[in-house]
Amino acid sequence: MSVGEETETRGRTLQVGSVLPAADYPTSTVQIFRYSAATWNTHRIHYDKDYAVAEGYPDVLVQSHLHGAFLARYCTDWVGANGRLLELGLRIRRFAIAGETLSVLGTVKAVERLDDAHAALALELVETRGSDGETCATASARIEIPLDWLASAAADGMSEGRATT
Amino acid sequence: MAIDEALIEALEAERGVEHVEELGEISAVLIRRYAAAIGETSPLYSDSAYARAQGHADIVAPPNFIAAVINWGPGAPYERLREDGTEADTHLPGVPAKGVRVMGGGEEMTFKRPVIAGTVVTRTTTLADVSERESSQGPMLVVRYSDRYRDAAGESLLETVRTVLLR
Repeated sequence: MSVGEETETRGRTLQVGSVLPAADYPTSTVQIFRYSAATWNTHRIHYDKDYAVAEGYPDVLVQSHLHGAFLARYCTDWVGANGRLLELGLRIRRFAIAGETLSVLGTVKAVERLDDAHAALALELVETRGSDGETCATASARIEIPLDWLASAAADGMSEGRATT
Repeated sequence: MAIDEALIEALEAERGVEHVEELGEISAVLIRRYAAAIGETSPLYSDSAYARAQGHADIVAPPNFIAAVINWGPGAPYERLREDGTEADTHLPGVPAKGVRVMGGGEEMTFKRPVIAGTVVTRTTTLADVSERESSQGPMLVVRYSDRYRDAAGESLLETVRTVLLR
């Protein structure tokens, strides 16, 4: 899909309560090892299965920052070159092991006009693991978008600068 | 050692003290490896020509890259690593190397500027505040650290607040 088509489908549709498309992020032992290498993370819980089992986990664990990378990527993939990620705050709720597919879903919680051409969306993100649907991480994100992605009612309701649920 | 007055005093003494570290140059190789590790497919993070066409001087680091690196140096000799493979110095000023259990409590990141390949980064870490909380396992301390990442010109790149739980 081209950027132009994406803009067309999003044009004037976003408002508080809008749910963004879900995205899946598969993980693997090799990925978790390579993430440890790329971040110079020597914690055995991420590459030594015997150690992870001794600590009470079924397998090596996805790093907290790798959860953060998936959540950030969810935002940057969705907004593309039309906007940018301004803020991301995350909390890890449960562990995820190698081989899990992590699914991220975002919901618009607030909209804010930045200027005549731009708005900011406040998103609530939930990352769940595929094996049992449990939540592994939650996050709040703030993303700058073109003002004309907002539904006209949402844009009209922003004369005070901010509209929330 | 558990949560006691001495630990609280040591942490309170750290409040506001700035620890400045030169992290070095964020090279294109580091960025491309990180992008590959997270499964990133956008050429913004790997293709210099594409990044320039988007208005950047070179490829861009994925947003949380500089906050995700655990150690910017070579790492301690093997005999000084702990049983779990981690280093004694874990970027937590005021927290003793032994006797306290440390758990991550979340991170808030504010992205100020894209981090471009070739940027030389300095990090200033400050213990922002300490508070006590009762948990099911007894008393716990909630410590928040501020990390400010800047380029060589002093421009802010990333600001984070990390929360760690001690018990």
